[in-house]
Amino acid sequence: MEQLSLNLHPFRFGIECNIPAVRTNLEKIYGSRLSEDMSSIQDYSIRLDGVGGMRRFIRPQVRFFCDQKEPFKPLNLGQAYAFLEWGMNWTIAAHEVQNVIIHSAVLAKGDKAILFPAPPGSGKSTITAYLAFNGWRLLSDEMALINPNTLEVTPFVRPICLKNQSIDLARNWFPEAHFSTIAKDTHKGDVIHLSPPECSWEQSTVPAKIVGVVFPKYMPNNDLTIYQLSKLEAFAELANNAFNYGVAGKTGFETLTKVIDQSSCFEIHHSQLSDVKEFLEQDIIQHA
Amino acid sequence: MLKVSPKLLVQLYQQPELALQYSDLQWQSIILVLRHQQLLPRYAKRIMSIGIFEQISTYARHHFTNGLILAERQRQQIVFEAMKLSPDIRKRSEYAVYLKGAAYVLADHPVGDGRICSDIDILVDKCALQSIEQDLCFEGWFTEEINDYDDKYYREWAHEIPPLQHHLRGTVIDVHHNIVPLVSGKAPDVSILITEIRETQAGHQVLSPAAMTLHSAVHLFFNEDYKNGFRDLLDLHILMSVENSEQYWKALLSLAAESGFELELLLACRHAKRIWNTTVPNDVEKKLNLKFLDFHRVNDFIFERVLLPQHPLCSPNYSALAEFLAWARGHHKKMPMRILFYHFSVKGFRLFAEKLIGKHIFTKQNNMIR
Repeated sequence: MEQLSLNLHPFRFGIECNIPAVRTNLEKIYGSRLSEDMSSIQDYSIRLDGVGGMRRFIRPQVRFFCDQKEPFKPLNLGQAYAFLEWGMNWTIAAHEVQNVIIHSAVLAKGDKAILFPAPPGSGKSTITAYLAFNGWRLLSDEMALINPNTLEVTPFVRPICLKNQSIDLARNWFPEAHFSTIAKDTHKGDVIHLSPPECSWEQSTVPAKIVGVVFPKYMPNNDLTIYQLSKLEAFAELANNAFNYGVAGKTGFETLTKVIDQSSCFEIHHSQLSDVKEFLEQDIIQHA
Repeated sequence: MLKVSPKLLVQLYQQPELALQYSDLQWQSIILVLRHQQLLPRYAKRIMSIGIFEQISTYARHHFTNGLILAERQRQQIVFEAMKLSPDIRKRSEYAVYLKGAAYVLADHPVGDGRICSDIDILVDKCALQSIEQDLCFEGWFTEEINDYDDKYYREWAHEIPPLQHHLRGTVIDVHHNIVPLVSGKAPDVSILITEIRETQAGHQVLSPAAMTLHSAVHLFFNEDYKNGFRDLLDLHILMSVENSEQYWKALLSLAAESGFELELLLACRHAKRIWNTTVPNDVEKKLNLKFLDFHRVNDFIFERVLLPQHPLCSPNYSALAEFLAWARGHHKKMPMRILFYHFSVKGFRLFAEKLIGKHIFTKQNNMIR
């Protein structure tokens, strides 16, 4: 087993792993944030374990552990790296209950952030990738860590998880970017992880204030359509996408209502990403 | 990563002021083991009780705070579920007595302070069991998927029905009609417990402190699984230390004699004293010891190990052997030989297949992964 340390603001992971391909991917995606120096203090110990025995030869599998706990069934060995990324998401969502955590992408212009909470298939990650490589900074593709006291989002910069058709799209758009290998036939289809540009990593300790909440929906061949949401609609949608709204209880409720109060909330139906970017910058960021 | 001695964990609980001394390197391992043992919030409360929580390392405070939030949420959940469950069940059964963790919390007993419980245990009248299960089903409580063999095990031999989970809230309840499996031949006359029912301020039923303690001891020592042994023995230590009156010990002794669990009480006293330095009146232990002369050697070997945290950073020498012996001992206690052979032939086949083809061949459908 190889011991690796992954230093990601605001959490450090100790990773044990016996699969060389996973290490290669980690290096590609996280660069200098990955090290073999185990002297720094880890917040969470996780382990990826290629299953031994006869399984090594017949449909080899990989298991994920957070310390001694195994929250998921094993996956195929070819999906090991994606499994590690999802396992890290689970670890934070399950333990970090002092933040209110929303299943959402977060991108910011300077210190003004917009949340994109949306179910899979809404084109959320494609928007995320597009904005992150066009002058915005990524705080997270998967989870918004909202501090209940300051109502700011703490960045938790990680790769962007792209699915199916978006994989080729992103590879064409950003040929210079760092991509992981493809995990085939997962429960989300084929997925790839894309490391955000250096400027997102550089500002990975700078929190941002939430000024907008946007629920995107991809509608091919449609002009950009914008619906303003009432506070109530936006709150209900946001609560639906919260990982730990129940655990956070009263704090969670108060945090979400305040976030909604201070944000402009929209649902958008889009097909052209440049239109989306223009709308976000001119109608939300400029007025915030 | 640094090893943690069980002694350090015991000391930290006994003298919480030690929390000011540890380096983050030590905390890293301590936090890992405490989280695994579901003890983060209990230790956090202990450190808070002497007013030094704000002064300990930021790293430790961060992880303790997460534990405290989870425990508080769970406390609210238990109070909320009980508000609905108590009246619903008592329409069918004379009594709905909360046991273990849920009882500690509902009784507002110090042992419930920061106690994490994975489910809510309730004792009901066996005659009302079927109608209660049906009622609960209409309220959204369903059996988690289990295989036919396990279902048969529950229905015919156990002291409880398969766990019920609420389809929206995810809470799990264990409905019991006795405190040990019927097939063990040791299941006591439930009326002994019924006379020990006390009502909390909110009107929920729990057991008297003595009966609570005895049940906690039975649950720990009439068992094959010691995953939470360290935590459970600490429960006993807290109960015994808080209650510690002449009347309490007298009630405890007579309840143990009446229900036939004197051995379990002796083991609880003996090991709480050895590990947690619990004060047990001399005459209590003497009285119990007289009945079980010369049985300690093997039991001591087992319990000196399995009652310490079963975490790789912490476990003592020969703990795998001790765990195996505890597992065999627990099964032997719960089932007569004839049934034990049958049980193992079914379970054994599964174990063998898992070893051969991989751990999860019998696991059904995947959990949610994002």
